[in-house]
Amino acid sequence: MTDRDMIVCRCEEVTYGELVDTAGQFACNSRELKLRTRAGMGYCGGRTCRSLVDAIALAATERDVTQITLKYQPPVRPVHFGDLGAIPND
Amino acid sequence: MRDLIIIGSGPAGLTAAITAAEHGLDILVIDEYLKPGGRLLGQLYEEPGGNWWNGIEESRKLAGRASSLGLDIRLGISVHNIEQIDGSWLVHADCETFETKSLLLATGAAEAPVAIPGWTLPGVMSVGAAQVMTNVHRVKPGQRGVIIGVNVLSSAIAMELKIADVEVAAIALPKTNQVNGKAANPSEVMNALLHVSHMAPSPLVKMGSKLMTNDFMKRMGITLYPKNGVRMWDIPVMLRKAVIRIEGTDQVEGVTLATVTAEGKIIPGTEEVIGCDFVCIAGGLYPLAELAALTGCPFYHIDELGGFVPLHSEDMRTPLDGLYVAGNITGIEGAKVAMSQGKTAALAIAKDHGQDIADTSLSEAVRQISSTRSDAHIQFHSEVEAGRRKLQEYWEQHAAGMRNVMV
Repeated sequence: MTDRDMIVCRCEEVTYGELVDTAGQFACNSRELKLRTRAGMGYCGGRTCRSLVDAIALAATERDVTQITLKYQPPVRPVHFGDLGAIPND
Repeated sequence: MRDLIIIGSGPAGLTAAITAAEHGLDILVIDEYLKPGGRLLGQLYEEPGGNWWNGIEESRKLAGRASSLGLDIRLGISVHNIEQIDGSWLVHADCETFETKSLLLATGAAEAPVAIPGWTLPGVMSVGAAQVMTNVHRVKPGQRGVIIGVNVLSSAIAMELKIADVEVAAIALPKTNQVNGKAANPSEVMNALLHVSHMAPSPLVKMGSKLMTNDFMKRMGITLYPKNGVRMWDIPVMLRKAVIRIEGTDQVEGVTLATVTAEGKIIPGTEEVIGCDFVCIAGGLYPLAELAALTGCPFYHIDELGGFVPLHSEDMRTPLDGLYVAGNITGIEGAKVAMSQGKTAALAIAKDHGQDIADTSLSEAVRQISSTRSDAHIQFHSEVEAGRRKLQEYWEQHAAGMRNVMV
């Protein structure tokens, strides 16, 4: 196995080669790289691969120190639909 | 409605809970793990001077203190969202939503991976996972392991594995690619280790004091570094070899190592396979800021603190009403600093709740954080104090901006 075939985002099965090619072709930031490849958009919410996706995007773009790359959105943990709809009881 | 909810029952969260309870606040502590203590639970190391820091014992002390104060600590519950509505905070946990006037985020840090072909095989785990298996659950992660990534955390855990009679065949660098960055550069790694030399493997320290004087010597240092590594507690620390592939069909069977140049380039023809049944990947720690990020709190990326950290003052207040932070969410440091931050946050919170807290006791607590930091035996980044100063400047700019808006 080479680096190119190596899976970076396990949930969406996105490879290193696909991420590097996309970042190279479009000079994209982390968010655009995520939207183009779906890396970081799976079940775990990017908890495993976010720093790797960031690193690939940062090779082509400047970091904005005031903006979190790859925005966090609720729910930040996997949660059942039934529990999401539960009525507050405290 | 509670006075205070604390998310995270590690050293920062528990210390804050104890301090706030002593000042009469009604508190709920939530943690997603099964035991209180957070990452303290895994820690076991000898401090200079011969004292052992036993995290399980420290956790037990904190939890005992908390239960004697009658604190409500709920374990095994994950918080998936927080929101501020009409001046109070709603904390959405697995099956319940809690309401509180003040919210302290003490969620700690997360581990960053390094990516090597084969890293998705069963038997590959983060170095922190190996630590939790070994020290908390008392389960061997395997018989013989290789650790990829040489840093303060991985060398400390290598020693813990050794104490638990788990063989560590080598600690080596990850191969160079676009994601492994400085962790794959022998010169960078050596510099980073030498700067935290009081914690680094002792043979490095001896070499290090001579090498730190100038760049030429530093380069010579990595050039002269033995190819087969320097032994630390009998574990070879390889700064001139990188893991280029993790081998195995259904699970980890070994790793392929190759000798690399001072810049991390693979020297062809030097590949060798060594056998192992588990692999730890160690890309370092970063502040676990996800919940704070949901609130709209401003963030700044500060390398010396390990990544993006929520804006906060020296007394642990964020710019948002009723939102406070303490521990590794504010930057990667040791447990003792986290405890002193937790205490400070609790005093600030008690004061904001109208408790009689003298300004001097709050400023004394802030001073305690700095003195704990300067005395710390474990330092994850050599320039952590510079990182703290940067954040303080951002805080002052923010405060000045707010004043201008109000005028």
